[in-house]
Amino acid sequence: MKKRGKGVGSMWYGIGNTGLPNPAAAFIEVLSDTSVNLMVGCADIGQGSTTVMAQIAAEELGLSYENIHVISADTMVTPEGGASSASRQTFISGNATKLAARQAKATLTEVAAGFLNVPGEELIFRNGEIFSSNDNSKKMTYRELMAEMKKHGRLAVGAGAYNPKTTYLHPETMAGIPYEVYSYATTIAEVEVDTETGEIEVLKVVSAHDVGLSVNDTMVEGQIEGGVVMGEGFAVFEKIECSNGVIKNPIFSKYLIPTAMDVPDIYSVVVECEGECGPYGAKGVGEPALIPSIPAIAAAVEDAIGVRFCCLPITPTDVLRELGKLKTQ
Amino acid sequence: MSDRDFSVLGQSVIRKDALSKVLGEAKFAADYKFEGMLYGGVFRSTVPHALIKHFDASKALALPGVACVLTAKDIPGKNRTGIIIKDEPCLVDDKVRRVGDAIAIVAADTPEQVNEALDLMEVEYELLEPIFTVERALEEDSPKIHGATNVHAKKHLECGDVDAAFAKCDVIVEHTYNTSMLTHMFIEPDAGIARYEDKIMTVYCSTQNPHYDRADVAGVLGLPNNQVRIVQVTTGGGFGGKLDISVQCHIALLSHFTGKPVKMVRSRKESTNVSAKRHPMTMKAKTGATKDGKIQAVEVYMTGDTGAYASYGPAVITRAVVHCMGPYEVPNVRVDAVFTYTNNPMAGAFRGFGVPQVAYCHEGQMNAIAKELNMDPIELRLLNAHKIGTTIATGQVLEESVGFKETLIQAAAKAKEVM
Amino acid sequence: MEKIKIAFNLNDQDVSIETMPNKRLLDMLREDFNCTSVKEGCGEGECGACTVLRNGEPVTSCTMLAGQVQGERLLTLEGLSKNGELDILQKTFMEAGAVQCGFCTPGMILSAKALLMKNPHPSRDEIRRALSGNLCRCTGYTKIFKAVEMAIEE
Ligand code: FES
Ligand code: FES
Repeated sequence: MKKRGKGVGSMWYGIGNTGLPNPAAAFIEVLSDTSVNLMVGCADIGQGSTTVMAQIAAEELGLSYENIHVISADTMVTPEGGASSASRQTFISGNATKLAARQAKATLTEVAAGFLNVPGEELIFRNGEIFSSNDNSKKMTYRELMAEMKKHGRLAVGAGAYNPKTTYLHPETMAGIPYEVYSYATTIAEVEVDTETGEIEVLKVVSAHDVGLSVNDTMVEGQIEGGVVMGEGFAVFEKIECSNGVIKNPIFSKYLIPTAMDVPDIYSVVVECEGECGPYGAKGVGEPALIPSIPAIAAAVEDAIGVRFCCLPITPTDVLRELGKLKTQ
Repeated sequence: MSDRDFSVLGQSVIRKDALSKVLGEAKFAADYKFEGMLYGGVFRSTVPHALIKHFDASKALALPGVACVLTAKDIPGKNRTGIIIKDEPCLVDDKVRRVGDAIAIVAADTPEQVNEALDLMEVEYELLEPIFTVERALEEDSPKIHGATNVHAKKHLECGDVDAAFAKCDVIVEHTYNTSMLTHMFIEPDAGIARYEDKIMTVYCSTQNPHYDRADVAGVLGLPNNQVRIVQVTTGGGFGGKLDISVQCHIALLSHFTGKPVKMVRSRKESTNVSAKRHPMTMKAKTGATKDGKIQAVEVYMTGDTGAYASYGPAVITRAVVHCMGPYEVPNVRVDAVFTYTNNPMAGAFRGFGVPQVAYCHEGQMNAIAKELNMDPIELRLLNAHKIGTTIATGQVLEESVGFKETLIQAAAKAKEVM
Repeated sequence: MEKIKIAFNLNDQDVSIETMPNKRLLDMLREDFNCTSVKEGCGEGECGACTVLRNGEPVTSCTMLAGQVQGERLLTLEGLSKNGELDILQKTFMEAGAVQCGFCTPGMILSAKALLMKNPHPSRDEIRRALSGNLCRCTGYTKIFKAVEMAIEE
């Protein structure tokens, strides 16, 4: 018989290292033709940080995404970025990038204000133009601004560094500020369990993530989908078999990760939430993407067959054992 | 998704790296080659805990094409690496602590010669009692893997009056949760290539952690940090498994010694066998609530096996302790956690640093409470959810950007629509 | 063992080489023809990262020997775009966000290509099946399915 069940799982996740300083930095230069070099320590391992940093720099400078060239994670060129871990890079390197861009922009603002003869605070940089928020006849293009910069011998460079506001935790009670900000998420999963074979099929997963600000929806969804599927592996497939210190299943045919055949229908919900501390409010999603799907899928299996499990992964053998359909030796 | 007024943020622009990747032009570490390049390989222990009585590479060295075989005594700098605690030898000096410890490294003209050389190396061990469980590790008479104790880390978190709070609860649920040792299975195995030129050691590698790699490579070579250049090349996934040193120090040593570029590409098996694993954890949890559904107290005791070396163990235990009551207002919390060293594979960072493990526990507890109280699990969570102004167990007051309730509401709405 | 001479068609060009017959096809393509889009994820025929098309059929080049491609037509990702014009799948993979780390991408695109050449309007299930030999640890496959479906529509 096939039985269906649903389960809920939620999580919170502190962005960055726990109760420790973990800064990152960025360097930026706007060149005379309005192209930009952005140097960040942050390693893009496929999660897309390079794209995120380019979007943040473009927004802050008022240039297009295409203008920004990112050089990342080369220790002779880029400043300290810390690790691409702890879902920290959008928040920390993102803030550093924004600060670097802001420093370059301060010089640009000074020169533009002089040229347009308006106070710098009035100026808006957007889509390759600089204009006064009070009088939009007072405007110039970025190219004109860079020509003006050249005339005055000014360079549009900036450096930014950001360290999240945390405190060391008390050694006895762990009191303190472990993280500056947290991401939140809730996942609801639906599964079908075959009570004859013990097989578990994850059918549908809804996963809603408070990411602060979504810098790039497609990439946020990509993180969520990848996380959900990895969570499926955690909940119902994966386990290193180790005996006498030797890993018995170091290869894909023995350590099963989800394949295209195993993927549920995934409904990502991106929730935004105002905040000042992240770059434009952005937090992090890399690890949150994974976490709540694990308890949600486990709970859905329990709901389907009315059995509580105490170990992950829940395999077909576990299901059959709990249903009393396995002869115990 | 954003309704704030941005011109670039919120746009699903095409990733910077997408074009080179769909063209097959993106260069991963294994795709690099340099003129006169050698290949490197690692001779690894096959036993979990042992002293090395004798190591002999003379037959390997006699093979044509073999440029060098290096052991601990050839290391010019410090023979210890590790992201938080420097407890992992680059090449074994005192003793073997796990299957897969690096004993010697070899450089040769071709990968075939490397494999032949590895086959010809001989080692004699004096076996020590291995430890494979947290329980055995904690026993007084167990052999010690590092120093005087097998306790790798111990944490205690406490707020409120937990015992008094449990006494006033209408329902209490107690369960134990276990999670397994897992591996990242990034599809690109670890790889790198090192080149020593003009007194600068450049290491091109697959990594999540270039600035940390720099310090450990410099430490092993005895070079100042600014004479080591780590270039992270296109990296085929990491998920935490490429935060530790993999090939970096070994290829840098071989290149430093031979003066030639040296490349190392791990096989799938080698990659899985020696990269860090997810900590298997056991969590014993007790959660109490009043009939109105308010969670009053949580108590958790957790243990974890960090294996032979610390790696990110200290980060995992701390994060797990801070997060283990879940995103809920719980006025009374007591958590105790112990991680031990064993002779199992090293456990370290894996997407979530212990939070996936504890989420299984705190969510299992929430669902159990919902069942006891006959409450809808979403309602129960909404009732206890973090919000602006919540004080968490460490005493921090949440001041901004707390969107938890919204995720509950929106997930429930979407589920209603599609399930 | 002695070297043998083999001739085959690689990415629309006739090529020939003297090579050891027991050399893996994967190594020959990467080393002798610089086709480094062909990736090694496992070396055991289990991950699909080394997928190439042999006469239009996906094969894992890590489990084939150089000698086995005598006279055959091979396609690697390097040969997919024609005269600087991207293949539709290359475009939709970019647009759909189907690429993250990109290590599975060459094999994934080629498996999808083989499917679309045989079956221009596959269902979601047929897509799943066609890609089931290509592992991806990053994306959760969902955007990859979407990319293939976008290519069908074009
Ligand atoms: S490398 Fe050929 S299938 Fe994995
Ligand atoms: S994109 Fe990383 S393995 Fe598929």
